[in-house]
Amino acid sequence: MPGVFSKRSFEGYLEIDHRDSPGISQELSDRESSGNFRPIPAEGGKKLQLITKRCSHCPRIVIMRPERTRARGYCPKCDGFVCDDCELKRVITGVCRPWKQIIDEWYDAAAKGQVPKIILP
Amino acid sequence: MARRILAMTTQTTLTATADTTNLVNGSYPYALQGSSSTQLTNIWEVSIAGQAASSSSPTFMLLSYDSTIGTGAQTQGTGGTDIATNPATAALGSVVGVGSVFATILPQRSATGHLLNCSLNAFGGVYFWRANRVEECMTMLGNTASLGSMSLSAFTGGTTGLIGCHTIYETL
Repeated sequence: MPGVFSKRSFEGYLEIDHRDSPGISQELSDRESSGNFRPIPAEGGKKLQLITKRCSHCPRIVIMRPERTRARGYCPKCDGFVCDDCELKRVITGVCRPWKQIIDEWYDAAAKGQVPKIILP
Repeated sequence: MARRILAMTTQTTLTATADTTNLVNGSYPYALQGSSSTQLTNIWEVSIAGQAASSSSPTFMLLSYDSTIGTGAQTQGTGGTDIATNPATAALGSVVGVGSVFATILPQRSATGHLLNCSLNAFGGVYFWRANRVEECMTMLGNTASLGSMSLSAFTGGTTGLIGCHTIYETL
């Protein structure tokens, strides 16, 4: 008898162990944020353990911060988690183009000798 | 296919570099580069251990696609190794390029292709990420920009410190 499927089985695992380190404070993270990069705040003297998920529509790994209160993106067509950028695109266009499909299309194009093109969000 | 471990014992020179700027030879742990137009490589695990000896060293590592692919002979920097997890592993027909030294054109980190934020304090900090299933792996596709090459390098800011790291990847 097959086991019960859980979406949690798709989760990745992230650990930042700063128990013996000054760590990266919230203040430092805020100060060093620039453009599209923000250091993960992980306080010194503590071990941070978080789950990660890959966006269903792109290859990005998203860290699930427990303090987030805004709703996470979800695509009902592919029944998967989507990152904020892809969620915006999905809501505006209504198009679901899962990463698996993109890879399939890429392989098809490559097999036909065409130059595959993928545009990330 | 088989998994391989790409490791760096100690990255002695770690240069913080902005996006779309040349990554300096030997000053970042590695670039991975597809070797054929149909090659797919999954990233299963990324681990970074801080080795700074004496002072706080916020080090903002970033695994990202490269918008400019390195060209010319690609070799490992000092301390870099790449080995199969299983000694019985057969060699790939087209071997994935690994290393942080390029003979001709240097790779540049993509500004839009950031994959995994690996920031840590290299003074006593340890960073570890692992995918549980293949659906959660990051993917490197083909051998052209921007999906055919990825690199682990330090983003600007902070005070980079010594690190050692390893990455487990699997080429299909």
